[in-house]
Amino acid sequence: MDLARTLHDLLYGLGVAASPENLMVAVVGLLLGTAIGVLPGLGGTNGVALLLPLTFHLRPTAAIILLASVYWGAIFGGAITSILFRIPGEPWSVATMFDGYPLAKQGKPGVALTAAFTSSFIGAFVSIVLFTFFAPPLAELALKFGPPENFAVLLLAFATIAGLESGDPVKAVLMTFLGLLLATVGFDIVSGSPRMTFGSVALQSGVNFVIIAIGVFGLGEILLTVEEALRIEGLRARLSFRDVWETWKLFPRYVWTIVRSTLLGFWIGVLPGTGATPASFMSYGIARQFSPRGSKFGTGEVEGVVAPETAAHAAGIGALLPMVTLGIPGSPTAAVMLAGFFIWGLNPGPLLFQENREFVWGLIGSMYLTNVIGVLIVLTLVPVFAAIVRIPFAILAPLITILCSIGAYAVNNQVLDLWIMLGSGLAGYLFKKLGYPLAPLVVALVLGDMTEQAFRQSLIMGQGSPAIFFTRPIAAFFVAASVVVFLLPFARNVLRRARGGAIPAEAPGAAGS
Amino acid sequence: MRKAALAFAGLLVLAGIVFMREASGLPTGWTASGPGPGFFPFWLATGFTLAALAVLVRTWSSNHGQGEPFLPGGAWKRILVVFLPMVGVVAFLHYLGIYLGGLLYLLGYTRLVGRHPWPLVLAVSVGVPLVLFFVFERWFLMPMPKGLLLEWLLYGR
Repeated sequence: MDLARTLHDLLYGLGVAASPENLMVAVVGLLLGTAIGVLPGLGGTNGVALLLPLTFHLRPTAAIILLASVYWGAIFGGAITSILFRIPGEPWSVATMFDGYPLAKQGKPGVALTAAFTSSFIGAFVSIVLFTFFAPPLAELALKFGPPENFAVLLLAFATIAGLESGDPVKAVLMTFLGLLLATVGFDIVSGSPRMTFGSVALQSGVNFVIIAIGVFGLGEILLTVEEALRIEGLRARLSFRDVWETWKLFPRYVWTIVRSTLLGFWIGVLPGTGATPASFMSYGIARQFSPRGSKFGTGEVEGVVAPETAAHAAGIGALLPMVTLGIPGSPTAAVMLAGFFIWGLNPGPLLFQENREFVWGLIGSMYLTNVIGVLIVLTLVPVFAAIVRIPFAILAPLITILCSIGAYAVNNQVLDLWIMLGSGLAGYLFKKLGYPLAPLVVALVLGDMTEQAFRQSLIMGQGSPAIFFTRPIAAFFVAASVVVFLLPFARNVLRRARGGAIPAEAPGAAGS
Repeated sequence: MRKAALAFAGLLVLAGIVFMREASGLPTGWTASGPGPGFFPFWLATGFTLAALAVLVRTWSSNHGQGEPFLPGGAWKRILVVFLPMVGVVAFLHYLGIYLGGLLYLLGYTRLVGRHPWPLVLAVSVGVPLVLFFVFERWFLMPMPKGLLLEWLLYGR
């Protein structure tokens, strides 16, 4: 690769992105995106889709910068409600909730928010550098990943999440099955027949995981808080920029987590059909296996916020790579942007780099600029966001409930979803109360369709024989890694019993990578 | 607590059997287009049922939580006070919509449970739905259920 040429192109791209029009478009996009990220039910994907018609009046470069900025803004903003209220503003911020919310509850919302924003930024920035210099070879490599490899990677995601909960591993497996089952509700993609709908027409469109996540986490949390009857006053949280500085001082400790999460996130993003959501979950699960404080994950570890946020933003960038270089969207949001390419009269693919130099390098240049501007905007707002937890509970509870309802309704515009949300809120409360972990349920629900598709395609490729997962080296590697990771919690339990009930101080760190 | 855990696990086993039955209504074997549509759901439901059975057996064989109450005293009432109005808002969605329903819910909860002073109660319960209305209906053009009453007030029909 010609380094000098790439650098020259990059400088040109930065110049394009720094033009007043493009810069203004980027800031508008970032602010809109952050708002979209904060509002539950209004996701990056629908945010980009809603703005698509507006871009018809812009030049293609400004148009893609606007859409991309909305996406970056949504990734920053999604973390906010997850951390403050345990309502995921975006699918990829569900994993941020696991440690971000406990941190906020301990009166450290500023720390959690700063950690989320900063690691998002680092993940994004490193990924953009990777994107700039290695786009074509990475895109080629991603194409080597067929359905069996994808299935094996997803299997690893499930294994890491099932191993997540320190509680009963059988219950974690049960919740994974439940999530996968819920994901099958609705029309079958291959045969077109409705499945698991129990004859209901409304269920034919499927159960959206956002609704379930809002129910089990958002509503379930309210019910749990009310039961404990503790927090009638608002939380007393320190609100100043000192939080920002003090969180930054922690970051050198997490260098390896950040490097690992960035590379993992970027690669998952590059793979077609995946995106930021599975990347964030896998990164969280793997960080938990690797971290010396892994057993404390879920109780408010800063590292548990850093890992998923880094990966989510890295994946967001990675997802654009196959879209620009090959015309294959790496995520649902990228797919919506790809629709824009055709509307603006561009043909994505290898020729795009040569034919539309301004467009491609303008986009890459704007990724550098918008992420810097974006992190500055959200960091200045940390004290404002953190102040929200000071609102007394008697006001916050109905407020959260209403936001949950709006978020759940916005997904499909049907009232049935509100009933599903209420039902899953109650179910989530009971599950949590009786020691059934909720994370595997939501992860399985998110990844279910993808998994089933990869599984069926693989079996078709192998003419019905599951041997295909073991004869292809990359797939076999991931399958083996999943088995190791999956068996860890069981092994840990056996060990614990053998040691006479003593809980090991450290989680085993030798998880299959 | 133990009784509740047992009942819940039993319920999950039953649900698993219902899922298996529903899934087996579709081809679960190998078809002309690869694994049939029922293949994945059926085996998932089977796995779910087996896991639920395992949980049931383990709960049965341990004395964990024996004699503890499922909920601390008075918790039922507090939970119902939050949850029932929520159900009410959804049940009357057709008439009140999310904005007016939300207004009533905020008004009732902040005043009756929070015992906040009236000016604050009114500011919050009118302000929040108003802001949400402008954000969703005007700026993002995402129609929320407005309900017959608000439709009539706004558009006279």
